[in-house]
Amino acid sequence: MRTTILAGAAALLMTAPAFAQAPYPIGHIADYSGATSDVGVPYGRGVQDALAWVNANRRIGGRTMNVMTMDYGYQAQRAIAQYQAWMSRERPVAIQGWGTADTEALTTFVTRDRVPYISGSYSAALTDPTGRAPRAEKAAPFNFFYGPSYSDSLRAMLIWAQQDWRARGQTGRPRYVHMGANHPYPNSPKAAGEALATELGFDVIPAIQFALTPGDYTAQCLTLKNQGANYAYLGNTAGSNISVLRACQTVGVQVQFLGNVWGMDENAMKAAGAAANGVVFPVRTSAVWGQDAPGMANIRAISRISDQAGTAYRPVHYLAGVCAAMLMVEAMETAAERGQVNGVSIRDGFYTRQNWVPNGFDGVCAPSNFTAEDHRGTLSVALYRAVVNGDTTQGSVDDLMRAGTMRLEPVTTINLDRRRDWLGW
Amino acid sequence: MSMTPSGDFRTSYAADMTIFPTRNSRLALLIGLAVLLCAPLVLGRYELSLMIQIGFLGIAALGLNILVGFTGQISIGHAAFFGFGAFASAWLVEHGVPVPLAIPLAGVATALVGLVFGLPAARLKGLYLAIATLAAQFILEDFFARARWFTGGVAGRITEPFTLLGLRFDHDETYFYVVVFWVVVMFVAAANLMRSRDGRALVAVRDHYLSAELMGINLAYYRTLSFGIASFYAGVGGALYAHYLLFVSVEAFNILFSIQFLAMVIIGGLGSVMGSLMGAAFMVLMPELVQSAAQALEGGAIDRALSLGASINFLREMAIGAAIILFLIFEPDGLARRWRLMKAYWKLYPYSH
Repeated sequence: MRTTILAGAAALLMTAPAFAQAPYPIGHIADYSGATSDVGVPYGRGVQDALAWVNANRRIGGRTMNVMTMDYGYQAQRAIAQYQAWMSRERPVAIQGWGTADTEALTTFVTRDRVPYISGSYSAALTDPTGRAPRAEKAAPFNFFYGPSYSDSLRAMLIWAQQDWRARGQTGRPRYVHMGANHPYPNSPKAAGEALATELGFDVIPAIQFALTPGDYTAQCLTLKNQGANYAYLGNTAGSNISVLRACQTVGVQVQFLGNVWGMDENAMKAAGAAANGVVFPVRTSAVWGQDAPGMANIRAISRISDQAGTAYRPVHYLAGVCAAMLMVEAMETAAERGQVNGVSIRDGFYTRQNWVPNGFDGVCAPSNFTAEDHRGTLSVALYRAVVNGDTTQGSVDDLMRAGTMRLEPVTTINLDRRRDWLGW
Repeated sequence: MSMTPSGDFRTSYAADMTIFPTRNSRLALLIGLAVLLCAPLVLGRYELSLMIQIGFLGIAALGLNILVGFTGQISIGHAAFFGFGAFASAWLVEHGVPVPLAIPLAGVATALVGLVFGLPAARLKGLYLAIATLAAQFILEDFFARARWFTGGVAGRITEPFTLLGLRFDHDETYFYVVVFWVVVMFVAAANLMRSRDGRALVAVRDHYLSAELMGINLAYYRTLSFGIASFYAGVGGALYAHYLLFVSVEAFNILFSIQFLAMVIIGGLGSVMGSLMGAAFMVLMPELVQSAAQALEGGAIDRALSLGASINFLREMAIGAAIILFLIFEPDGLARRWRLMKAYWKLYPYSH
């Protein structure tokens, strides 16, 4: 009997250091097969590669991360089922998430369980940690994301649109229309956009619906044409926006499209061809693939995790995924330096830096500022124009970007005021 | 073993209608139930969560089986009724009804909706009825997306966990008992329904509607009633789902889910009460098996050739389709018949003829 106890104690002692070194469980909910997988794949790949790169190169408080990636197919209830399974078993210390419907639904749960949740959704409803802002519906103290919120992006594009309207010497009131699926993600900035558009002197015409999946949207384009819209916001992701752009080109619609941050990228430019020419949309990183910046060396090293040949072209969403993952990693490192790594200490890790650019990613990740009162990481929106001046059917995205057949042209950077009445909606 | 004498010695209707014919089979049932109730002490949360899913899906599948297997009607809108039950329960809880009461009330509300959408069944048969129920699916789905007051719109609705006498059933270990309770109640009710006058009328409608009508069975009444019963089961199943997941979203209740309910009924066995539960178990466990198979093959040659990891979601859905085809060809009477054959094999061993 005594020997068994001794042996047991010895075994426990031997495994104790192993327990101390147990990797931090990290949840990763990605859309690799659902309606938004066109942009979900590069973003999720960026998150996964960045975390794998961190695991290969450094330790957080002496430990690695155990990243549990789950493809939820853009089905909110699957994400929630997975979240509850994780919370009853692995208990992740932080989660990298994706869509608006699932992130907004999970807000209640992550607040209760105190798990920092870094989403691919930039819904403004996730930006008020206290719930006290005038238009906020509920508090989201554990929700973070990298980049400007959907509402702020749209506000910036509307401010640009007003300048553009004047610069083109147009008179009268420009007409603005919101387009997108009836889904929490495209709906998220609708009210904010229409409110500001009215304030800026636009005529707001009734929203036009189109599904999140590719399809024939000629009818929507005819409506757009008949109503004489001048500026149209595309609230969906790239895949279905391509269908709209192509249909509108066929119909001959003369409208300036404003894309959501997920609404346009290099792959979509290749697929839409000339129809994508002129679309204005926000880009979250200070540099895109193929440009040079001090942080690009690390981005290329991360890219090689899933592309050993180093030949893959990484669209804007991949870079944003890396930045989002690195913010979480540095917040975890701060938590580790201060003692324990848990949900609350990681959340507080998000508040420690001003103009926060993850170490080694200068010139790529844009500076973020999070405070306990305000989770709008940035209010600076860099607008780019997709320029396509040739045939995109031949050659890879990499070739087309190199040849200049497609390019991302900086338009302007709009710095919004940190208005309290804009917080949370 | 439930040994019965060879030959028919039953002298009363009661003996003829009994569900469990021998003392041993009743004992086996009680022991089985007792073992089941001990499951949370032994099993992990993952296994329990699978059993909970089998439970609420099984209840809804049983409803569809009453409609399709026992009455011979067809419905490809069952997921919409399941969803209605989930939303109704969440809505009732939002308005101050305690969860234990909201679950049966959601069933009743869904039954009323089912009766309305079952009205075409009084007139239509076969493919025409299938299309009418398809319309129900789309009408309800659209209603869920628009009726913000009821469903929270496209953003969905968050709801409360099951609480009774101050106890919160918000973990797999505890919620398991809630589901077991409802599974037992609903399955016993269905088994008894089928022994009653109304149950036999449903079966008569299925077997030959003209003969049934000649015997004085009101076809329109029983066809519509069958929709009501099926919807009640779907509603209770949906309500149990809502208070398990604590979040209800319109996206979950699409046409694919309706087809999955049909698949459960076909795989489990049309016209079999226990078959519904077996079908639900099959549909819950198979995707998990596909996932573990893909994980076991990870890194191997097959994985590299087919890139299993990236396409696991597609693989799962393909496996469901393949299972339906294989069952229709090789075992059209479903798992319930296979189970009967297995029991017979053991009983008669080694003299199977």
